This record gives sequence, structure tokens and C-alpha cells, in this order.
Amino acid sequence: MAAQKWSFKMTPVRMVMLALAALAVAIAIYRLATGLGTTTNLNDQWPWGLWIGFDVLTGVALAGGGYSTALLVHIMHINKFNVIARSAMLTSMLGYLLVMVGLFLDIGQWFNFWRPFVSWGYHSVLFEVFWCVSLYTMIQVIEFGEIATEKVAKSWHKPIKRIMPVLLILGVLLPTMHQSSLGGLYIIEVGKLHPLWWSPLIPLFFMMSSFFVGPAMVTIETTLAGKALGHHVENSILRSLVRIAGSLMVIYLALRIIDLANRSALGYVFAGGLESNMFLLEMVAGVIIPIIIAFSPWSASRSGLVTFGVLTASGVVINRMNVVFTGMYQALGPGYFPSWMEWAVTIGLVCGAVLAYLFIAENFNILGNHEEHEPA
Amino acid sequence: MLSKSVLVDLTRCTGCKACQTACKQWNDLPATFPEFDNNLTFPSKTDGNTYTIVEHRVTEKDGQDVMRFAKTQCLHCLEPACVSACFAKALQKTPEGPIVYYSNLCVGCRYCMLACPFGVPKFEWDEVFPLIAKCQYCFDPNGKYDRVGHGQQPACVDTCPNGTLIFGEREDMLKEAWQRINGDAKYVKHVYGEKEAGGTNWLYISDVPFEAFGFRTNITEKPLPEYTHEYLKWTPPLIATWGGLLTLMYFYTKRRSDVAKDDSKDIGV
Amino acid sequence: MTNHFIDYQHTDVFLMIGSNSAENHPQSMRWIGKAKRNRGAKMIVADPRLTKSTVYADIFARHRPGTDIPFLLGIMKYAIENNLYHKEYVADFTNASFLVNSEFGFTEGLFSGAQDKDGKVKYDKATWQYQKDGETVKKDPTLQHPNCVFQLLKKHVSRYDIKTVSSITGVPEDVYRKVCETYAATGAPEKSGNIIYAMGITQHTTGTQNVRAIAMLQLLLGNIGKPGGGVNAQRGESNVQGSTDLAMLSHLLPGYLGVPNATKHKNLQDYIEIETPAAGYWTNKPNFMVSLLKAFYGEYATNENDFGFDWLPKVDGKNRTHMGIFQEMMEGNVKGFFAWGQNPAVGGPGANYERKAMEKLDWLVTVDLFETETAAFWHAPGVKPEDVQTECFLLPAAFSYEKQGTVTNSGRWIQWRYQAVNPPGEAKSDLWIADELFKAVKKEYQNGGKFPEPIVNMLWDYDKPGHEEPDIEKIAVEINGYEVGKEDTALASFGQLKDDGSTVCGMWIYTGYMAIDKDMNMPNCKRRSLEDSGLGSFLKYSFSWPLNRRIIYNRCAADMDGNPWDPQRALFKWDGNKWISNDVPDFSKTKTPQESGAFPFIMLPEGHGRLFASGPVDGPFPEHYEPMESPAQNIISKQQNAPCANVFKGDWAKVAKLGDSNYPIVATTHRSIEHYQSGAVTRNCPTLAEIGPYMYVSISEGLAQEKGIQPGDDVWVETVRAKIKCKASVLPVVKPVMINGKKVEIVGMPWCFGYQGIATGAIANDLVPAVGDGNTSIQESKAFLVNITKA
Ligand SMILES: Nc1nc2c(c(=O)[nH]1)N[C@H]1C(S)=C(S)[C@@H](COP(=O)(O)OP(=O)(O)OC[C@H]3O[C@@H](n4cnc5c(=O)[nH]c(N)nc54)[C@H](O)[C@@H]3O)O[C@H]1N2
Ligand SMILES: Nc1nc2c(c(=O)[nH]1)N[C@H]1C(S)=C(S)[C@@H](COP(=O)(O)OP(=O)(O)OC[C@H]3O[C@@H](n4cnc5c(=O)[nH]c(N)nc54)[C@H](O)[C@@H]3O)O[C@H]1N2
Ligand code: SF4
Ligand code: SF4
Ligand code: SF4
Ligand code: SF4
Ligand code: SF4
Ligand SMILES: [Mo]
Repeated sequence: MAAQKWSFKMTPVRMVMLALAALAVAIAIYRLATGLGTTTNLNDQWPWGLWIGFDVLTGVALAGGGYSTALLVHIMHINKFNVIARSAMLTSMLGYLLVMVGLFLDIGQWFNFWRPFVSWGYHSVLFEVFWCVSLYTMIQVIEFGEIATEKVAKSWHKPIKRIMPVLLILGVLLPTMHQSSLGGLYIIEVGKLHPLWWSPLIPLFFMMSSFFVGPAMVTIETTLAGKALGHHVENSILRSLVRIAGSLMVIYLALRIIDLANRSALGYVFAGGLESNMFLLEMVAGVIIPIIIAFSPWSASRSGLVTFGVLTASGVVINRMNVVFTGMYQALGPGYFPSWMEWAVTIGLVCGAVLAYLFIAENFNILGNHEEHEPA
Repeated sequence: MLSKSVLVDLTRCTGCKACQTACKQWNDLPATFPEFDNNLTFPSKTDGNTYTIVEHRVTEKDGQDVMRFAKTQCLHCLEPACVSACFAKALQKTPEGPIVYYSNLCVGCRYCMLACPFGVPKFEWDEVFPLIAKCQYCFDPNGKYDRVGHGQQPACVDTCPNGTLIFGEREDMLKEAWQRINGDAKYVKHVYGEKEAGGTNWLYISDVPFEAFGFRTNITEKPLPEYTHEYLKWTPPLIATWGGLLTLMYFYTKRRSDVAKDDSKDIGV
Repeated sequence: MTNHFIDYQHTDVFLMIGSNSAENHPQSMRWIGKAKRNRGAKMIVADPRLTKSTVYADIFARHRPGTDIPFLLGIMKYAIENNLYHKEYVADFTNASFLVNSEFGFTEGLFSGAQDKDGKVKYDKATWQYQKDGETVKKDPTLQHPNCVFQLLKKHVSRYDIKTVSSITGVPEDVYRKVCETYAATGAPEKSGNIIYAMGITQHTTGTQNVRAIAMLQLLLGNIGKPGGGVNAQRGESNVQGSTDLAMLSHLLPGYLGVPNATKHKNLQDYIEIETPAAGYWTNKPNFMVSLLKAFYGEYATNENDFGFDWLPKVDGKNRTHMGIFQEMMEGNVKGFFAWGQNPAVGGPGANYERKAMEKLDWLVTVDLFETETAAFWHAPGVKPEDVQTECFLLPAAFSYEKQGTVTNSGRWIQWRYQAVNPPGEAKSDLWIADELFKAVKKEYQNGGKFPEPIVNMLWDYDKPGHEEPDIEKIAVEINGYEVGKEDTALASFGQLKDDGSTVCGMWIYTGYMAIDKDMNMPNCKRRSLEDSGLGSFLKYSFSWPLNRRIIYNRCAADMDGNPWDPQRALFKWDGNKWISNDVPDFSKTKTPQESGAFPFIMLPEGHGRLFASGPVDGPFPEHYEPMESPAQNIISKQQNAPCANVFKGDWAKVAKLGDSNYPIVATTHRSIEHYQSGAVTRNCPTLAEIGPYMYVSISEGLAQEKGIQPGDDVWVETVRAKIKCKASVLPVVKPVMINGKKVEIVGMPWCFGYQGIATGAIANDLVPAVGDGNTSIQESKAFLVNITKA
């Protein structure tokens, strides 16, 4: 790589994103200084809102592309997916950082965020999530260090490369754990979370969906990156990725139906009303149609792949939102809609992440060809 | 196991709110200016400044309008969901029964609020560094607000003029509850808290359905932490097997891919 | 109260009428609950609103405000006609057998002797007297004589049949029949019925007669004087019993001695001769009066100068009650006003008018804990301070926990309370303020003045060297009474008081409360022994006036031969030689049961409970009249309103005409547990302001629908006099009732709000008319007419 040289092209769109990110930073500072009550519409009825629901639960799921790709590329060594590996993992890392920021903003005693490291509430699912997410984020940062040290602090490159296998294995193990645990958080909502979503299997569903949303995200991402950064990934590679996802989705769909049937909850599916409609939307648009696309000839084309990606990702977003909001509505009642500041922070964070992605992609070897990581 | 319980007999409550006020006074909780409530329950909900309220309801019994009241607060579950949900051990169960909050350990994640099947823990939304607020059962390891730890009754129980609230061993309270129910046809044949969520230390009996006060009646009898546990217990074996599998896979496929490098052959899907 | 709170545990049937104990006397509910659980007691609540007290009710009779007399008289009719009354008791202990003047009559809602005077009836009571043979009253022990009290009563109440009562009160017939059955059942000798009442009964133009009706019903069913029975007026302010005992009322001196009248009583001799009855305990009145004068004027009170009788203030026949005073104030006749522990700007009827009247004052002194609405009348909303010329002073007073002294509760228990904390800032005890004030006034008069004697001759020596506070124990002993020369020894009984100037007593009925209990070595009112016979009398816990008697008229607890009506609850029992007692007897223990049983009501000259009473100005029997503002024609007689009611002058006394369609809704006012009275204290306590933050009006679901009012909406409540804005609470707490076949809506408002303090709100009393009972002038704040509109 060439000597250190940083470049970042400002376009009008990027300007807007920067402005939005700056606004988010300002609100974040305001929130940290004045409390949650001043900034959010959260209340005793709805203790968790947009930040947890979207920034965290959905963010982590969408960042799932990182570990599914890692599993395929680095663990299973399916080398044809190498081209997307770095980009997927970068997105993932940024996603997790974003999640960390979101979490940090959301907790009331933010100066106390480190507590669970020493005060072990190990009987809590959140404990697992907390440990896994923080460790995994750390691992991703180190993993990224492998890329970064190609350009900066080069002396670190070798040692990092040496520990990469451990990192890579942990980097799949940890997210598998906490992706499912995020669903596990809702096991305790038994009787409160609507039966369409509550299930003892919800951790499995969260894990599976976080896995198959990976390819979907990669598809979207590479397409966007392709446009913005001139990075092209062959449709065939993406298609086989999408088919892996599709297969998983078939199992997922079957499991969910069997699970509903097992819990005698199938009746809710067509019962009408908010819950049923949202469930159908989630399953039809987010799972069934994508499966059809994946195994139809359309998935050979870019438009088919992108449609698959968008639908699947939306499906997962809707699923998480359904769990956090729709499914809890009957138990918690009306009384929450995110404040403009909550929206602004969420949007701003995403913008910040996109900008960071662009910056890194333009300055590090993310999209170009590269060898698989080797232990030295 | 012995554990301290309060039996709340709603047929005895006259809605005097002495308990509610005593709680505020004893615990130095600040007063607020609540919103108007048609039922004249002020404040109409517990919140960051209010551990307990006495809900006023006009309901019907045998076709007649009747007024009834229910004091609500943390039920101090035998197997508390909130404790199991807290990842920082800020909520802990004491051997005597009270579920106590250690604010210094709290991160403010509010998972306990979501976990509690009774919607008990509340948050100090108005504070810069908000804490969880919930009835501490007048048990305070730091001493300042302690009563139960000193062998006294909770402030609210002590203040009740009508014996609506009585304090004692859970077994005795349950026995008393059933004795009252079986001795008087007016009672609903149910001790709320006997089985809900695996049982609670605050037990309620009433002559009008508990739904009149919005008590959740679809609560599972299985302790909520068990649900979580049934999932979490898989964590160690999962780590072991999945971790092992990943490692195996890593080395196996790596070798295979090294061998097949030139073939650019891939594993079909 | 004839009985006391703890005694409620012995009741078989409670009739709670016009009282809401759960909110206003919460501790009483515990004893009601106990009676229900242990005795299977029944409770009837008669109230226009579904109150918190109904939680313990077996029967709730929702009736229209101002219709208690038909409600109570109907039960009497039912008891008499179904032979359920307590025959022995009625015959032996009441005046049922007494013959009344044969001219006595009752027509068209008026009793004989009615004379029209300025549009108001004034009775000549000549025909209301007993028939006498010389000094002895003629009687018919068989109760058959057409002119005996019993027959007159029977005839009088016979018009109040279930159907009539139902159409006046609005209580459905079946519910009312159940009330009658349940309560009349306490006529059985071994049963005890307890009537608990308070302001729902008294605050009417028929208030006195409402109370009379309660007393009569209790006599008829034999419920007075025995455990679990009684006429139980649950009193108000924590020490209102004490302040009434100590002469809070304008016509009374301490101990219920009448204030002398300027024309009637030229001297002490006149007073004693005219005011002392020939029989009954009041024959001791001269002893009480002279001892009182000695307490007032000490060594200056001598036989020669009538013990200073001339120095006593006299009444002149004009109305000096609350509304009377404010009317004079409005007319400019009152120059200065001490609002000492009262808040008329919120609590007075026609409060807006009273606030206006205060603007006419030269000066106002408020002695209070807070800057109340009264203290702040000159900056009330809508008042321009610069237009008010009144000079205002606010003296900060210490709260009850910040000083010591006694409080007398409803059950007449006088309990010494100790100071818990020091008063904040410059606040001083009321006693200190009074003491300093009087000393200052006295000092002024020492330099001469108009009629200085009552002031300079006043015995006032309460300084306690080395202490800032006056010597409160010394004052207490003076109230208790002592022998001249033995100032340190409190007398044990008012039987020791003399009319020769050798005893001093500030208030005879309290005599003994500061006397030393020999066993416990402390003044009686400081005792706290939980020793008890099992009946709950707790004779060594504090001191109950008179003479530590817990249940008064308690001779009635046993029959003529001294056998208790119910052996399980034996207050007294004659074992053939002596009385076995669980209370202080209200009769001579040395006499046989037959002797004492002949005069069980010792305070009355005739010694018998009065089913017929010539005392009230408005009739010997209660009779239903509609409230001054009523939506209904009186169907029981042509007399629409209370004939002797006191109607004041001016806008505040304006009333809506019968049938005024602009004001079709009956309104009543009530209290709530969260606030005390005008709310002066409680609305300033953050924790209490929080639990009762809003002024509201309770309206029925139907009315809300009709007026398009949603729960929590702001509404206007308007009378012919004023209007206020508040929130609407829409609940079946109130519901319309059927009156003469017509639906009448009822609304209720708390009256504890004002413009000062943390929790503020509109003043309900702005709406209350200045009309009062003919006997007492208590205002009719429990029944008036309004309209409600969405604001
Ligand atoms: N918390 C609290 N306690 C108090 C007080 C307080 O302000 N707050 N005030 C104290 C004082 S000074 C007093 S005098 C007592 C008063 O105590 P209560 O008399 O019990 O008080 P209220 O609520 O004014 O009136 C009692 C009931 O009378 C009903 N009522 C209205 N109109 C009628 C009617 O025409 N007939 C009948 N039968 N009932 C009617 C009302 O609906 C109400 O429920 O309370 C004392 N205790
Ligand atoms: N509409 C309507 N009006 C009513 C009634 C009703 O039922 N309906 N009820 C009536 C009845 S029963 C009553 S008793 C009256 C009450 O009417 P008020 O007596 O005028 O009202 P309170 O609020 O009791 O006033 C007592 C004042 O004394 C002050 N205070 C308290 N403790 C002390 C002390 O130790 N020293 C001094 N100096 N001040 C002290 C308090 O702050 C308060 O301002 O209202 C009457 N008005
Ligand atoms: S009621 Fe809720 S807050 Fe209280 S112990 Fe049970 S789970 Fe915890
Ligand atoms: S908010 Fe505090 S107490 Fe509740 S779960 Fe989180 S850390 Fe524990
Ligand atoms: S037990 Fe103590 S903390 Fe809990 S409600 Fe009662 S007084 Fe309040
Ligand atoms: S103190 Fe007792 S009677 Fe009063 S509201 Fe509380 S529980 Fe009910
Ligand atoms: S005086 Fe105090 S303790 Fe007694 S009933 Fe009233 S409020 Fe309760
Ligand atoms: Mo009163």
C-alpha cells in the first residue's frame, strides 16, 4: 500500500449526511448532560424505544452479515466469497460500534456502563448479550486492525495476523451466542409478548434471521458500493450467497410455522388486527417472497438479488420492530412514539456509520482483491 | 423457605391512602403534581417518585355499584424476574424475601422494567442520572430506610387503620387468606400472588375480580426466571460444541481449500 | 357522641347517614370492620353519593340531599306499625307516656302556635307543653291516650309510608324496605343499633330536626345508653369537641351555660332563677356559673358584686353566628376581625361574599400556620390590592405537634398531647399569642378606658418564671376547678363545686380531667393504661367527660330491674345489692335500679328521653321540608321550606325558584380524605397536595353524556349566585334519582380548594347560599341547585 494518504470526497449527499451526523452528536451530548426524559419519549410503560429497538436490536441483526460471511469465508473457507468478506466485516464492525453508541446513549447511568464486567448478573440474558457484544466489538476492531495495520502502525500487522484464527473463531462464536440472546431477552416477556412472536425458540429465530440477513445486506451493500465506489462483485457469487440464505429461510419458515402450531398460536395468524397484519407482512414480504426470488431465475439478475436483499433485510427489521413494539402493544398499551430527537440520533448514527464506511473503504483495502488472512 | 409476606385483603380497604403517604414519608420520596385521573387515584400510577399507590375503582358486584381500592407495589416475587433480568446484580433477593435495589450497581438499562410481569419497576425519567424506583419492602441494607431488617413491619402495613395489610410468614399469610376465603362466600376464590409468576410475597384477596384493578391474570405460574434459565443453560454446552465445531471446521476446510486452491472448486450449496 | 369509637365494635347494625367515616374519620372504620367480622354486624349507608364508607355497607341507600327526615321518620313508622320498637325502653325511659297539651296540633306542615313574622314562622310554644297535675306531668303508661307522646308520634310518622318516602328521597322502595327491616330489627332488646352521622345531617335548614329524628329513632328502638348503640355525631376538627365545650358558639359560655341576655337577665339572681330548671342535673347550674365567674374574675368576683356577672358580655337577641357576623361585616358594622384558626374565605357559605365583606374591615388579624385565602383575601384572583384599605396582619401560629395541651375527641376523651417538635421560625403557640395579646390589652386598659373592669379584673396570672410559654398546666387546673386557696389540687368531680365563691372552675364538665389518678400518679388526661374489662371502655386511658364516663345516659344499658339488655355486653348489672359496672355510672350507685331507672336521662328536668321536645324553635317533631333550593315540590305538605329557616340578606342568600329550569341539578358538598377542611394545611403539604391535586365535580355518566362532557373536562358549575370552573369526574359515584316520578341529577363537590398553597382550585363555597337552620344558623351547604356546562 502506498504511504499514508487520506482522501475523502465531499459530495452534496455526504454533506447532508455529515450535517445529520453532527446533529446527532449534538443531541447525544444534550442527552448525556440532561437525561433521558428531556430527549426521549420513553416512559414507564415503554422503557425501551427506538434506540434499543432499532439501533440495538435491529442494528445487531443487520450487522449479522459480518459473522455469516466470516463463517462462510474464514471458517468454511468458501473462497469465492472472499471478495465480499472485508466489506461485510467492516459493515459489521461499524454496525456494532453504532450499537455500542446507541446503547451508551440509552442507559440511564452511562458512567456506570462497565458495571456488569465486575458485578456479574450472570442469570440475565442481557449479561450474555453485554459480554458477547462488547467482546465481539473488540474482536472486530482488532480484526479490522489487521486491515488498518496494512496502512498505519504497520509493526502491529504481524502479531495481529498471528492471532487471527482465534479471533475469527471467536468472531463467529460470539455473535452466534448474542444474536440468539437478543431474542432470548424476550423469553421473559412470556404472556406479554404476543404469541405470534413469543416462543421458547425466539433465540433460535433471532439467530437464524441474523444469519440469513447477512447475505441480504451484503447484496445491498455491494450494489450500493458498486455504484458509489466502483466495486463490482459478480452476480453469481451473490446468487450462491443468496441461495445459502434462502435455504436457511426455508428452514426458518418451517420452524416458525411448526412452532406456532405447537403452541396453538396459528389462529392468530389470520385473526386480523395489528398483530396479525404485521406478522403477515413480516413473513410474506420478508421471508416467503425472498425465498421464491432466491430460487427463481430472477435471482440471477442484479435486480432480483437486490429485491431479495431489500425484502429480506426489511423483513428482519420488521421482525425486530414487531418484537419490540407490535408484539408488546397489547401488554404495554399505547403511549410511545419516538421523539424527533430519538429519530435524529438514530438517523444521524446511521449516517455517521455510512460516512465512516465510505471513508474507510476509500482509504483502506476493503474492496480490492486480497488474500485470505493467513496466520504467519 | 421462610419468607416475609403481606396479605392484602381488599375487602377491608377503605381507600384512606395512609399507606401510600406513609411510604412517601418513610422513604423520603418527593411529591409530584400528577395529572387528573377520572377515578381520583392520585398519582394514578407508581413512578420514579412513587413506590405505591392506592387505586380507586367504581365497579359492580351483584349488580350494584361498589367502590373498591387496591394498594399496589412490588409484589416481591419468590423467584423475581427483575432480579434474573438484571445483568449488574443491582436487584437482589434477600433471604427474608424483599427484593432490594442497589442503585450504585445499576446501569439504567431498564431491562428489569420490561422483565417484571407486573410492570413494577419504574424509572426516574426526570433525572439526569435516573435510577430505578420500586418498593423496597422497607428493607434497606444501608440502614437509613430499614424497618423489616430491624424486625419492624413495613411503614405502609404499620399505618393501615383497617388491618387491610397484615405482615407475617408467607405460610401463615396463605393459610389466613384461604381461611378467609373459605369462611366467607363473598370472596373470589383466588389468592393473587399464591401462584402467579411462581408465587409472590405480597398476596391479595378480594371480593371483586382482580381484573377490576387491571391486575394481570394471564400470568404464568412458572417462575419467569425458569424460562430464561431453560435457554441460558444451553450457553456453556453451546459454546463448547459450536466453538469446537467452528475450530474443527476452520482447520478442516482450510486444508481442503489449500489443497484445492488451483482448482477454484467450491463447495456446492 | 353518646358513645365512643372503640365501642363501635359492639354494634349489631350501623346506620351511617350523612357521614362518610372512611374519608373523614378513618380510624372509626377499623371498629366498624371489627364489628362486622366479629359480630356479623350489618351496615346501612344513606348518602347521595357512593362513598368510600360503602365499602363496608350491606345496604347502600342513595338518597337525594335534604331528605333525611322522611328517611328516618319512615323507619320509625315501620318500627311502630310492625311492633318492632323497644317497648320496655320506650315506656320506661322515654317521654312516650307523657300527655301533651290537648290543644297541640299539626296542620298543613305546621304545628300549632305558628305565627307569621316577616315572612318567617315564629312559634308560640304554649301548646307544646306537657299536661301537668301541679308539678307532676300526666302520663299514660299504656301509651294509648290519644294525646300521649307515643300516639302523637305514631300519628305524625304515619304519613311517611314506604312509597311516600321513596318518592321524596329517591331510594327505590325495595331498598328502602330492606333498610327499614334491617334497622328496625335493632328494636329487639338485646340488639344494638348505632347511628353515625355528621355534616350530611346537620348542614341543612332542617339540620337540628334531622338530628332530632336520629335521636328519636334511637329512643324508639332503645339504642341510647348501651354498648354498640348511641347517637354518634362524629365530630369535625380534631378538637372541635373541646372547642365547643369551651364555648366556641356565640350563645354559650364554657360548659354549655347560656350567655346571659341583656334584657332577660338583669343580674345573677335573674339568670339563676330563670335558667335553672326545677329538676335534673342542671339544678346545679348556679354552682357551675358562680365557679366559672370565679375563674374569670378571681378575687374580684365576690358575693357582693354578683361575682362579676355584670362584666360578662351579654347577647342582644341578634344573630351572632357565622353568617350573622359576615352580614354585619358587609354592612360595615364590624371594624376588626380576628380569623384565628379559621379560613372563611374558603370554608364560609357564600365565600365570595365573605371575601368581599372582609374588604370593609379596617383591620384583619389572621393567626394561622400559612398565608391562607383569608389572610390573602386582598390579593385573591380578581381583587385589586390597591382597592383594599384593610390593614392586614398575619401572626404565625404553631401547629398541634409544635405545642402541648389537650385535645378532646368525638368520644369526649380528653387527651393530653406533648410537644413533638419546636415551631419553625417566629411561630408561637396560640396560647402564647393569646397570653401576650391579653396582657397587652390589659395594660392599655390600666390607663383607663370605656368599661375597663372586665379586662382589668380578669384573673390572668399564667406567667411561668423562666419560661417563654405561659403555664399551661395551671390553666388546665383552672379549667378543671379547684378550691379557693388550694390552687394546686384539681378537684375530682363537679359535684364538689359550690355557688358561694369557694370554688373556681373554668368549665364544669371537664372537672376531674386534671385530677391526679392515685394509682398512676398522674393527671387523669395523661393516663395511657390499656387495662380493660373487655368491653373496650379503657377507663384508665385518658379521661372522658363527664367524670370519665365512656357512654352517657348509661342507666339505659340495663332494664328497670338492673338487668343488662344483653348479658354479653353488660355495662351494668344489679346483683340484688349492688351494681357490677364496666363504666362510670350516669346515675347514683347508691340508689336501687328502680329509683335511678325512673330518671335515666339525668340532664333533662323530666329525666326521660324526649320523643317529643319543645326545645327546638321549629317544632316538637321533625317534619320534612324541602331544602331552600329544591327541584321538587314538597309532597308531604303545603309548607315547601323549613318555616323557621334563617335567610340572610343580600346576593349571597338569593335562591333559585322552585322548578327553575336554569338550575335543575341538585348539588351537595363533601370532604375527602386527602384534604382537611379548607385545605389550608393539607394543600400546603406536598405529599397531601399530591394525592388530592384537583378541584372536581362528580357527575353521573348520564349527565356527562347529556352535556357532552368527557372525564377530566373542565366544566362550569353555576348557581343563581355564582359560578366556578373545575374538572369533571364521571363515575357512578353519583347517579340520578327518581323524585315524584321525575329524574333528578345529583352532583357532588369537595370544598377544600382555594387559591393559596400548592394545590389550588375553585372554591365550592362560592356556590353555597346563605340560608341556615332556624335553631343554629348552620348553613345549607349540603343541598342547593346548580347547572353544569362544559367549559
Ligand atoms: N379528611 C378529612 N377529615 C375530616 C375533615 C376534612 O375536611 N377532611 N373535616 C372534619 C370536620 S370539621 C367535620 S365536621 C367532619 C365531617 O365529616 P362528614 O360529615 O363525614 O363530612 P362530609 O363529607 O362533609 O359529609 C358527609 C357525607 O354527607 C353526604 N351528604 C350530602 N348531603 C347529604 C344529605 O342531605 N343527607 C345525607 N344523609 N348525607 C348527605 C355527603 O355526600 C358526604 O358523603 O369531618 C372531619 N374530618
Ligand atoms: N360547603 C361546605 N362548607 C363547609 C362545610 C361543608 O361540609 N361544606 N363544613 C363546615 C364545617 S363542618 C367546618 S368545621 C368549617 C371549617 O371551616 P374553617 O374552620 O374556616 O376551616 P379550616 O380549614 O378548618 O380552618 C382552620 C385554619 O386553622 C389553621 N390552623 C391549623 N392548626 C392551627 C393551630 O394550631 N393554630 C392556629 N392558630 N391555626 C391553626 C389552618 O391552617 C386553617 O387555616 O367549614 C364549614 N364549611
Ligand atoms: S413484582 Fe416485579 S419488580 Fe417486584 S420482585 Fe417481582 S419481578 Fe421484581
Ligand atoms: S435498570 Fe438497573 S436494575 Fe434494572 S436491569 Fe438494568 S441495571 Fe439492573
Ligand atoms: S413496604 Fe415500604 S417501600 Fe414498600 S410500599 Fe410499603 S412502605 Fe413503601
Ligand atoms: S392504609 Fe390500609 S385501608 Fe388505607 S388505603 Fe392503605 S391499605 Fe387501604
Ligand atoms: S385524627 Fe389523624 S389518625 Fe385519627 S382518624 Fe383523623 S387522620 Fe386518622
Ligand atoms: Mo366541622
